[in-house]
Amino acid sequence: MPFCLRIDKNMLTIRNLYTKYGPVSVLKNISLHVDQGDIVCLIGANGAGKTTLLLTVSGLIRPEKGEILLEGKRLNGLSPEKIVAMGVSHSPEGRQVFAPLTVLENLKLGAYPRGRAAASEIMEDLEEVFELFPRLRERQGQLAGTLSGGEQQMLAMGRAMMARPRLLLLDEPSLGLAPKLVDVIMETIVTLNSRGMTVLLVEQNASKALEIANRGYVLETGRIILQGPASDLAEDSEVRRAYLGRDYDSVSERTGPCSRV
Amino acid sequence: MQNDKVEYLSPDAWRQWHTELLQSTVNRAWDRIPFYRKAMEEAGVTKDDIASLDDISRLPFTTRDDLSLNYPYGLFSVPLRDIVRIHTLRSAQANPIALGYTESDLRHRRALSARFLSACGVTPDDIVQICLDPGMSNIWQDIREGAEQIGALVIPPDSISTGARLRVLADFKTTVLVTTPSYGLHLLSCLMREDVPVASLSLKNAVLVGETLTEETRSRLEDGFSVDTWSGYGIFEALGAGMAYECSQRSGLHLAMDHFIPEIINPETGRQLPPGEPGELVITTVTARANPLIRFRTGDITSIVTEPCECGRTTWRMMPVSGHCDNLVSLRGIRISPEYIANFIAERAGGVRLPCLMILRRRDHLMTMELRIAIGVENFSGSLPELHRWIREVEQAFEETIGVACRVKPVEAASIQDRVPAESGIGVVEERS
Repeated sequence: MPFCLRIDKNMLTIRNLYTKYGPVSVLKNISLHVDQGDIVCLIGANGAGKTTLLLTVSGLIRPEKGEILLEGKRLNGLSPEKIVAMGVSHSPEGRQVFAPLTVLENLKLGAYPRGRAAASEIMEDLEEVFELFPRLRERQGQLAGTLSGGEQQMLAMGRAMMARPRLLLLDEPSLGLAPKLVDVIMETIVTLNSRGMTVLLVEQNASKALEIANRGYVLETGRIILQGPASDLAEDSEVRRAYLGRDYDSVSERTGPCSRV
Repeated sequence: MQNDKVEYLSPDAWRQWHTELLQSTVNRAWDRIPFYRKAMEEAGVTKDDIASLDDISRLPFTTRDDLSLNYPYGLFSVPLRDIVRIHTLRSAQANPIALGYTESDLRHRRALSARFLSACGVTPDDIVQICLDPGMSNIWQDIREGAEQIGALVIPPDSISTGARLRVLADFKTTVLVTTPSYGLHLLSCLMREDVPVASLSLKNAVLVGETLTEETRSRLEDGFSVDTWSGYGIFEALGAGMAYECSQRSGLHLAMDHFIPEIINPETGRQLPPGEPGELVITTVTARANPLIRFRTGDITSIVTEPCECGRTTWRMMPVSGHCDNLVSLRGIRISPEYIANFIAERAGGVRLPCLMILRRRDHLMTMELRIAIGVENFSGSLPELHRWIREVEQAFEETIGVACRVKPVEAASIQDRVPAESGIGVVEERS
């Protein structure tokens, strides 16, 4: 072999992953990969298995079978704390901030898995979170339960970052947010990514997600049915119809014997 | 995956990516195309059986006959309203073959063709002249679109004489000639005959498609035209002109593995063969949206090299096609089924199957075809002028449907019967000059 450029630095690799909720198969034969420095998004209808996939990666659900590798090291079977310590942070759907604690306490809890890391290091990271989300600095003494939806989302992401992850799993960061706030959150994801953070993003708002992602996967009832560069997916007529809410019935009424999808 | 780096992925990354693409392709085909689902069920394979790239060998094959038997919409995996173009091809079966394309299919095809031409050194500064027979219109359209995507000036093959084409070549200072190896040699000999000095031309590159480029032809074209030559491979049923192409190393043709998974099989047993062994090329498209093809048998004999190339690309390479394992006849880059010709003649003879012999011979480098048809008193009752009129009609119809001229000659059955197999009623003879 003459030489081979190693340009595809792999962050996350999933092979033939199956996950069940009780007797119900939710993920079926899922294989996907996220390269270092990528933003990869998962799109699909409700119940397609997007959230389950993130929960399985972060160890909150045990896979039935399959392989999850972080930079070549096996993750499945490890406890969620171990997985966080290995560099994977999960910002869950619905924020899940600790309502009775203050913003600052929430953020510091995010650094908990780092154990005895130098306090100065944690203060540096805190400063970085405050710089990304100035709103959190203003409200650092406020109870998290009293924050608005957008602020809680910022807090959830900030808390995830406090673990110094190399891979950030984001579940529905735009859910229930006003359009302007959605843009703020998306811009923050891009900023984080430009600083070297690798992101696996689940979004209902598929068009926004495809705008900021490099690549995407489309899930349908627990299986991946399509993948490709985000720009390709955004232009795919089937993706547009099913997930971007843009039907073009008004333009054309071509129908044929194969008009089922 | 960005296009500029895709050709340089590591072998591990290719394996992962191909496994993902194979799984999603099988998922889509199973859910949306009853033909594939049935074929997979009959082969005893389910969606869950595809755990790695090696499992591709468990999937059933698809043939050209399958495409034609499922005419018109049987193999479409998207609703017709997502289809923006349909191409039809002739087939040996009663039905033609219909291939649909979504917008993204067309985009991929164009991008592949452009990547192929870029690998051949085509830039926006180039003037690309395409000289291919009308029968190869599908391929030259791919090439035209690819060259236009690069931003080059394109001169498509208009129906003018070879002499006029040579004039255009000189007058417009064509820098890239796209043609078949045999037409390239033909152009070269016309050039010499008309005493046009090669130095007066501006040619830099010749891109050769449709036929296998032998080393001998390559050096004759390179010396004669004083150009670099590049060969490409494509089949219309899949992704067209840019499916495999040479790099500057000229050590095989790089396969566009971001769009299909290639395999080599033993054409008799159907068993997959290891890298390096010659056999039939089988391809599984992994990005096609309208007409995904699973293990499509190309009929072309070649072998595959899986080691990365000196040029840095890690895509596998196929060697030049060394033959065919289907019974198609190659006439100037156009693949013709003898069975189709037999049906074509029978249709024009009021359903009577007349014994025919296809005679292929080279004239001035170009392959020409003569079709001898056995006509006697037992099957023709008209006058001689009527016979001549019928012959002329057949010749015209042939050129219209096949896209290349053919001489038709009525003969006595006895003169050809030893070369025409009784069961098919059509024979093929290649005369070496």
